[in-house]
Amino acid sequence: MHSPVEQFTIKSLMQLELFGYDVSFSNSALFMMLAVIVSTLFLTFAMRGRNMVPGRLQGAAEMMYEFISDMVSGTVGSEGRPYFPFIFTLFVFLLFGNMLGLIPYSYTFTSQIVVTFVLALFIFIGVTLIAIFKHGTHFLTFFVPPGAPKVLIPFLIIIEVVSYFVRPVSLSVRLFANMLAGHTMLKVFAGLAVMISGAGGVYAPGAILPFLALVGLTGLEVLVAALQAYVFTILTCMYLNDAIHLH
Amino acid sequence: MKPSGQTEPRQFKPYLNGLLAGSIVMTVSHVALSGVALAASEKSEESGGLPQLDFSTWPTQIFWLGVSFLLAYLLMWRLVVPRIGSVLEERHNRIEDDLRRARQASDDAEQARMAFEAMLASARNDASETTRKATESITKKMDRKMETANANLAKKMASAEADIATARQAALKDVSDIAASSAIDVVSQLTGLKVNKTDAKKQVKQAEKAIA
Repeated sequence: MHSPVEQFTIKSLMQLELFGYDVSFSNSALFMMLAVIVSTLFLTFAMRGRNMVPGRLQGAAEMMYEFISDMVSGTVGSEGRPYFPFIFTLFVFLLFGNMLGLIPYSYTFTSQIVVTFVLALFIFIGVTLIAIFKHGTHFLTFFVPPGAPKVLIPFLIIIEVVSYFVRPVSLSVRLFANMLAGHTMLKVFAGLAVMISGAGGVYAPGAILPFLALVGLTGLEVLVAALQAYVFTILTCMYLNDAIHLH
Repeated sequence: MKPSGQTEPRQFKPYLNGLLAGSIVMTVSHVALSGVALAASEKSEESGGLPQLDFSTWPTQIFWLGVSFLLAYLLMWRLVVPRIGSVLEERHNRIEDDLRRARQASDDAEQARMAFEAMLASARNDASETTRKATESITKKMDRKMETANANLAKKMASAEADIATARQAALKDVSDIAASSAIDVVSQLTGLKVNKTDAKKQVKQAEKAIA
């Protein structure tokens, strides 16, 4: 039978090689570029009027901006301002990536663990460097919870260090797993609908059941696409807050 | 301005309908895609395993992630964020400015009202002062006129009384003459006797004395 995870296959669209590495332009790369282009076009097109009283599109663009702006100032505070463009880019990139991926025949690059992991690792390293530049060796006190009993401190340090280094893994796996599971489920139900209707005869009308489930699941996946972009972004903000303010 | 409680459900419903319609369209496409894939998979056999764990695809994805994310960052940082930010700031400033101007206008109006009230109060004062002065002067004039009128009246009364007194005196003198001549006439008519004038006068005088 046809595998529901076949949809995640990377297909090279244009062979490219750089310093001995295969950097072919693939379906994944195409949708990354599309996410960038579509989001930029949408946001610039929506703001073309620069209206004092925004219309629907401009309202949507401003809502996204203010949503992230409030998120940054709410979790990080005023010191988070310089990182706002990065956080905004991250949110827009993931949101458009997830949303474009829901369009049939498209590709969801956020369902690739390597993509989410590299993003999470970049954030993890960046945030750690910010913390070290800001606090120097004082940064190490981050691993000692304040007010803990002296006897427990060695254990707590181990726990804190492990939980700190697990951050990029949990951050990337959360997004990857959600996308993988969601798209696999959509494919399973869609395949089921096709198989049942293919069986013909009295069984064919039964295909309506997985079809109806699929309608619900598709709506749910739209929610998940927005939610996971939000979760990834707000966790980044929280890590940034930890780096700037320690505890 | 409409209360938000009324507009929200109305605004929310089209989104729900849109989501449902979108879900159905996407579902139909998914099913169609699965049909095509099912037909295709009958020809080629699956290798199995998650395509995500095919490490040979990792370098290209990391490379293109870097390229696209950097591009996205540059576009957002240089183009999108300043554009939206400036519009929001402009609106914020405009609102602040309008509020400031409204506050200014309200203060001005309050000041104008106070000035008007002060003017009104002073005008009222002036008016009552003028009225008081006018009343006072009128009263004074009236008093003066009344005094002169009274004086004139008293003078006239005194002279009239004097006239009356002389007239009465004259009349009284005539009365005794008339009485005497009447008495002479009455006696001659009744008795045919002639009374001389001097006797008649003497008798009248005696009678007058008796009456007085």
